[in-house]
Amino acid sequence: MAQNEHLRNFGMLAILIIILCALPSNINLYQRSVIMFTMMYVVLSLSWNIISGYTGYVSFGHVMFYGIGAYATGILVVDYGWHWIPTLFVGVFVSFVVSLIIGFPVLRLKGPYFAIAMLGAAEGTRVVATVWEDLTHGGEGIGLPNIENSFETYFAMLVVMLVTIIVSYWVGHSRFGIRLNAIREDEIAAESLGINSTFYKLFAFALSAIFPAAAGGIQAYKVLYIDPETEFFILVTIYMKLFAMFGGKGTVIGPILGTFVLYIVQEITWVKFPTAHLIAFGVFIVLVARFMPRGLMGFAIDKGWARKGMVH
Amino acid sequence: MQEKAEIRSKYWLAVFLVAAYTIPFAVGIYTENVFFDLQWLADLTTVILNGIMQGGVYAMFAVGLTLIFGVMRIINVAHGELVMLGAYLTWMFFFYVGVDPLLALFITLPIAFIIGLLIQKLLLNAVVGGPELTPLLITFGMGLTIIHIVEAIFTTDYRTIPYAPDAFQLTETIAVSRSKIISFVMAAFISITVFIFLKIHRIGKAIRATAQNADVAMVCGINIFHIYMITSGLAAALAVAGGALVSIQFGFNPETGVLYTLQAFAIIVLGGRGHYIGALIGGVMLAVIESLISFMIPNGTAMVEIASYGMMVFVLLIRPRGLMGPKEN
Repeated sequence: MAQNEHLRNFGMLAILIIILCALPSNINLYQRSVIMFTMMYVVLSLSWNIISGYTGYVSFGHVMFYGIGAYATGILVVDYGWHWIPTLFVGVFVSFVVSLIIGFPVLRLKGPYFAIAMLGAAEGTRVVATVWEDLTHGGEGIGLPNIENSFETYFAMLVVMLVTIIVSYWVGHSRFGIRLNAIREDEIAAESLGINSTFYKLFAFALSAIFPAAAGGIQAYKVLYIDPETEFFILVTIYMKLFAMFGGKGTVIGPILGTFVLYIVQEITWVKFPTAHLIAFGVFIVLVARFMPRGLMGFAIDKGWARKGMVH
Repeated sequence: MQEKAEIRSKYWLAVFLVAAYTIPFAVGIYTENVFFDLQWLADLTTVILNGIMQGGVYAMFAVGLTLIFGVMRIINVAHGELVMLGAYLTWMFFFYVGVDPLLALFITLPIAFIIGLLIQKLLLNAVVGGPELTPLLITFGMGLTIIHIVEAIFTTDYRTIPYAPDAFQLTETIAVSRSKIISFVMAAFISITVFIFLKIHRIGKAIRATAQNADVAMVCGINIFHIYMITSGLAAALAVAGGALVSIQFGFNPETGVLYTLQAFAIIVLGGRGHYIGALIGGVMLAVIESLISFMIPNGTAMVEIASYGMMVFVLLIRPRGLMGPKEN
């Protein structure tokens, strides 16, 4: 990987950051929220991409970590009176521990079985959040105090997004990422070359679990009300999967591009067609999976607009 | 070495199943919901009988899933959505036309068969035998589309079909709801018909041949893409029949399909993927565990869902073959 290519990629990132820093004071609250949620989905789809794009273990239940982060913030702010920023770190830590506990058995499953086991794990977490009323207030949810400042959450999300992008970039360009790719292509061959696949899979899974927790925490503080149905909503997983797949899974730029395009499209369409946009999303997943499995980036690489190295 | 691991996994599965059946009792005793008097024993018998009746219906739509898996190695994540669609079709005929839910099967089953055929023809035929995850994503998107089309037409309200709501008294204290008995009998009838079809009909034999080895089947002059389409239609018909039988017992809304997918998947994992009798046994076992949980654990009805997730994950980890599935190769 040439040195100037890193420079160019960081230049692109710097331009993105400058634009996102300059935006919030020039736009209204609604637009600020939309951009914030777009950044949140960048975090989510990039994290999903670490385990599912690089490592090839497609997760259908990543919303679980997002929900855990949201609940950590909600519980600590309301029941224990914490400031909201430290709660993000608690959420990240809890999510990390949970990802190790769940990942150790579940990552032994392959392909579709892993996907469905994760779907089950996420639904199971939702049931736990509903049933464990002493901790989570059960189905009635938690209402957070309305002291949120939209600039604070905006910049917090920007920082989380920045960290996620840099970590994803590091994963994509390090020996670690190459090992993950080797596991994706052929796990047995990778093991025979001396790659400790259990360790690397678990590490990738934990990495992909911590950022959604931080994003979920900020989101909980922003929307002021959380309950099991919305925080463990399967649609969040669908979004992160679709955004990453549309952009091109296994790349760093892909999920970012996919989210910025699709989230803003869906924001515009859902205002006009509240139910039809979900039907369209279902059709869209089918079409992307069937005709464009490598996403926009795959298309760009075939056309010669992007170098193949940017995929990995 | 292999043999030993094989036998060990069998014992571990047995241990797990015993534990799964014991845990509800243990929790029940701990929370003082278990009394061991005559009344309680009668209630327990009722619950287990109801569970078995329930299991017949679960098993029927799980057979559809296992059929698709066995023939094409595809996991159809939209299977539960087809069950939900079946419930809505039955409800539509019952509510707007006034057709009896069971007679409506004569209309809904051909519709379902055609839906399955079309899904296979348009979407899945091209991806059979490719990467395992592509069909998973396709059926997932399909399920999402079905849910939201149904939601756009019927809203998210719960619907019910009032059908044979009274209970059938076996003895003075043991009673089983009549709609459950009717649906169990129907489920048994439909499953047996499908088995006989698979055993003796020419097309049934072709389906089994394709499941065993698609290449050899093709060499023998079987058009496997036709067989795929028929299989998919059959599976959709089983799912829709399951939906009809579910609809006369429970309320349903567009979101309930996800649960049925997971239940069906847990059942075929437990029974052994691609194994039809296994699916029947797995269905009954899962339903009995679920009813034990909701009977003995306080707040248990909310926890019923955990039974299928736990079952699925643990069986996949302990013994991926399940109870009677073929050896992994």
